[in-house]
Amino acid sequence: MPEPYRKILDNVYEIDLLEADDSDFERISKEKSLGLSLEELKKIRDYFKRERRNPTDVELEAFAQSWSEHCCYKSSKPILKRTVFTIKAPQNICVIAEDAGVVDFNKEYAYVVALESHNHPSALDPYGGAATGIGGILRDVVCMGAQPIALIDPLFFGPLNYKEKLPKGTKHPQYLFKGVVSGIADYGNRVGIPTIAGMVEFHESYISNCLVNVGCIGIIRKDEVVHSRVGNVGDVYIMAGGKTGRDGIHGVSFASAELGEESEKKDIPAVQLGYAIMKEPLMHACLEANKKKLLTGMKDFGGGGLSCVSSEMAYAGNKGAVIELDNVPLKQEGMAPWEIWVSESQERMMMSVRPENVKKVLKIFEFWDVPATVVGRADDTKRIKAVYKGKTVLDLDLDFLLKGVVYDRPAKYVARDEADPGFKMPDLEDTALRMLNSPRVGSRESIIRRYDHEVRGNTILKPMQGKINHQTHGDAAVIKPLVDSFQGLAITADVNPIFCKQDPYWGAASAVDEAVRNLVSVNSRPHSMADCLNFGNPEKEDRMADLIKACEGLYFAANAFETPFVSGNVSLYNEGVKGPIAPTPTLLGIGIVKDVRKTVSSDLKETGNILYLVGKTGQEMGGSEYYRMLGLKGGLVPRVYPEKTKKSMNCILKAMDKKLVRSCHDLSTGGLLVAAAEMAFGGDLGVELDISEGNMRTDYKLFSESNGRWLIEVRKKDAERFESVVDAKKIGRTTKDGKLKIKDGKIDLELPLEELRDKWDAALEKE
Amino acid sequence: MGCRIGEGMKMRVCVLFMEGTNCEDETRRAFEQIGLEAELVHLKQLTGDVIPELRRNLGDYSVLMIPGGWSAGDYVRAGAIFAARIKSKLREDIKDFIEDGKLVLGVCNGFQVLTELGLLPAFEGISETPEAALTNNANGRFQCRPVYLKHTGKCRFTEKIGEDNVLQIPVAHAEGRFTFGENDEKYLEKLIENEQIVFRYCRADGSDALGEFPWNPNGSLYDIAGICNPEKNVLGMMPHPERVVDGIQQADWTRKKKGRGDGRIFFESIRECLKRGF
Repeated sequence: MPEPYRKILDNVYEIDLLEADDSDFERISKEKSLGLSLEELKKIRDYFKRERRNPTDVELEAFAQSWSEHCCYKSSKPILKRTVFTIKAPQNICVIAEDAGVVDFNKEYAYVVALESHNHPSALDPYGGAATGIGGILRDVVCMGAQPIALIDPLFFGPLNYKEKLPKGTKHPQYLFKGVVSGIADYGNRVGIPTIAGMVEFHESYISNCLVNVGCIGIIRKDEVVHSRVGNVGDVYIMAGGKTGRDGIHGVSFASAELGEESEKKDIPAVQLGYAIMKEPLMHACLEANKKKLLTGMKDFGGGGLSCVSSEMAYAGNKGAVIELDNVPLKQEGMAPWEIWVSESQERMMMSVRPENVKKVLKIFEFWDVPATVVGRADDTKRIKAVYKGKTVLDLDLDFLLKGVVYDRPAKYVARDEADPGFKMPDLEDTALRMLNSPRVGSRESIIRRYDHEVRGNTILKPMQGKINHQTHGDAAVIKPLVDSFQGLAITADVNPIFCKQDPYWGAASAVDEAVRNLVSVNSRPHSMADCLNFGNPEKEDRMADLIKACEGLYFAANAFETPFVSGNVSLYNEGVKGPIAPTPTLLGIGIVKDVRKTVSSDLKETGNILYLVGKTGQEMGGSEYYRMLGLKGGLVPRVYPEKTKKSMNCILKAMDKKLVRSCHDLSTGGLLVAAAEMAFGGDLGVELDISEGNMRTDYKLFSESNGRWLIEVRKKDAERFESVVDAKKIGRTTKDGKLKIKDGKIDLELPLEELRDKWDAALEKE
Repeated sequence: MGCRIGEGMKMRVCVLFMEGTNCEDETRRAFEQIGLEAELVHLKQLTGDVIPELRRNLGDYSVLMIPGGWSAGDYVRAGAIFAARIKSKLREDIKDFIEDGKLVLGVCNGFQVLTELGLLPAFEGISETPEAALTNNANGRFQCRPVYLKHTGKCRFTEKIGEDNVLQIPVAHAEGRFTFGENDEKYLEKLIENEQIVFRYCRADGSDALGEFPWNPNGSLYDIAGICNPEKNVLGMMPHPERVVDGIQQADWTRKKKGRGDGRIFFESIRECLKRGF
């Protein structure tokens, strides 16, 4: 086989694609870790045939970036276009198209939403992977010109007490968990944006492939929104922030393949290094330059580095561009042009600026001690060029580069067993204690307290709610983004991967229902959502089918609740040695709070109040924590009834506005028992429930995770008015005897809350 | 000590920040909410490392406030780099500022900076090397939580807060355990004798925290949350009063009748102190 590489500059090679055969293609893709398939390389060869020349290594790398699953959504685009992208809503201002969604807040302001995964880097380097995940999501919000106001971190790990032998190259869940939480705390706390919501889930399928999803919300004046595109021919590209180094090389192809035994050695250069103290002034400087109307476009350096940012900005503006690689400030000497072109080094932003404003912009960055450099210029060629030492090393048609490839991949759904297993009801007292001690249910306080959740002073409802040093889980956090308005944003993160594993359609729909419930619990109206779709290898038919089912489920529920998906991200190839991760369509739900002073928290307020249950409890035990704990399989995953739930939602919000609701908590993992216990913990009060009505077994009544349900505390004197507004069942009252008492016909349970609390506190790690 | 604040001089607050400071916005807002003029000033603007029109003079302000955050990342001892930068270029300005009887306040990272600078506890005037430290929390973790504080001794800033009043103010830090190291016993006595302890962590009913977590969130010596200098015009504290100026910023406001935030009286007290001109 002839040598396919020909040196044209010191560290630039021409690659002989035109004469290559299949084995050459394979060799090239492998040697250069391009992650491109044979078909894709042939398509690229045909392009260069038309260009009548061979590509350089820089050019091939550009395709590897832009055609990766991570960048072009080649496997998921068709299904997304059929489902989640189609929900129309008047509140949408600019959604899906850019790095973050822009949604109507009030007359003058919009809020900005971004949600992303940083899974594979975190599985190799949990601390650095999580930290740079936060950095990336902050840039996505800042590049719209918005001030970040909240961070959200949904995390998914293998069981922390996993004792069996780990697959080669896999790190222990405990190590990953500690590293990720520390990474989020150390980076998030330093940049000064509060981490106010999130979730932590555990399942065996995440052992070799943990998930780190990161979300960010921002606020912006509508007339200050800046887009990720160059404005005019002749505009100058200014790159600002950190230097470009050999960290984060091939991050996108690494994110678009399965992790393996050799990942530790092979892929570590793909993990970026974070530096929070560059990010903090970088945000200030970018926002100041935008506020002064000096920018015509802005975009962050994310996956695919300079290659993606410069091409995509030019393409979105229907222009072309020339980038001078010699001007890019480097961390290391001797970096090859292709490395400069694809490096994903952190804390970098690209701006397009009219020539007459360049000096003003550079001055702002100088004040903040943030390096900023002119690296290129927009033209009208509709091509992207890169020049190195006076020679053009990349010259590509933008349309061909960025339209990329799309696959309608074959899918075959593998049906799950939905038959309910027969079993004898276990001892309920013992089961209740075990339930509260479950890592999926127990207190998240030891994690939440490590994140600064009130820096900026705008967190009105904190993630932990209740009497001081007795606080309990809240349903959502509430932020008051503007100084002169009491309007707020409620924020929650939700998905139940166990549901989704048993039934991706109803599991995904349930995630929407749960997000809606959480937002309503604090007295906010569900307004928009972002989705981060974490799934297995789409080239395998059963994984692809789960992805499709989940998207359909999301669409069904969100469309019915009129909550559009305004932003999102797809992370595929999440596989372990024993198969794919549980399908995990993580949702970020955002609600509008009319008046933050009317926010409702989840902790019980006084003794002698009445407890109401809203919504119907069914024997839908598939994917429940109860079944999982007992080692039972099968069962129906809870269905979603949007019309009924919407009706309940409207009534509850009405009652809250009339100030008839003292506390409210939705029923989710662990069902009624867990909801009642958590409310009691937060108020340091007791609860008496009578659930005798209905002829379901007591354990189903207590642990069913049926959707559309809330537990609500109302003062006796308000009971009549409440009942006239909300269709709810009176099921108990608050007491001061420190007990959770449950009566179901002849069954009488009496659980000391202190013991329950101890179990709940100790489920993960006590503070 | 002669006081030179008063007639003809604006009661301006300099909210000083550098890269990594991150509580400057809400701190300025807190001052403005109680009617004081506050300006965000980058350290470079005081040291003169900026274009002339951006330069500021410390002497033009009545209060120097160093807010919370992670100045320069706090990758070494918290506050050490901020302090070193101040020391190298502003040492005399700050000395004059304090000797003029003006007010210096440090919250969280600001308290760490004041301690590193030797402005606190400053038993014998400003010390060359730090006499105390705010070191890693006893449980080794960052803590973001509401705590109760007892106002145990008045400094110039806090006269409006009644003695033994209990305030609920949040903390958010990884390094807040106040200690004199091996000299704990000796210097604590001195601190008490000089009436330099301004805030101590306590329980909800005001009784002693006795070092017990979570009432005392970091294991601080003698439950110390904030101290002042012997002259009572320099105050450092770990809790963040600027985060609870309004009632709805308190962690448990949904359980209470609506009211003001417990941090407001702290800022009002500063305002009154300035009005009085001591």
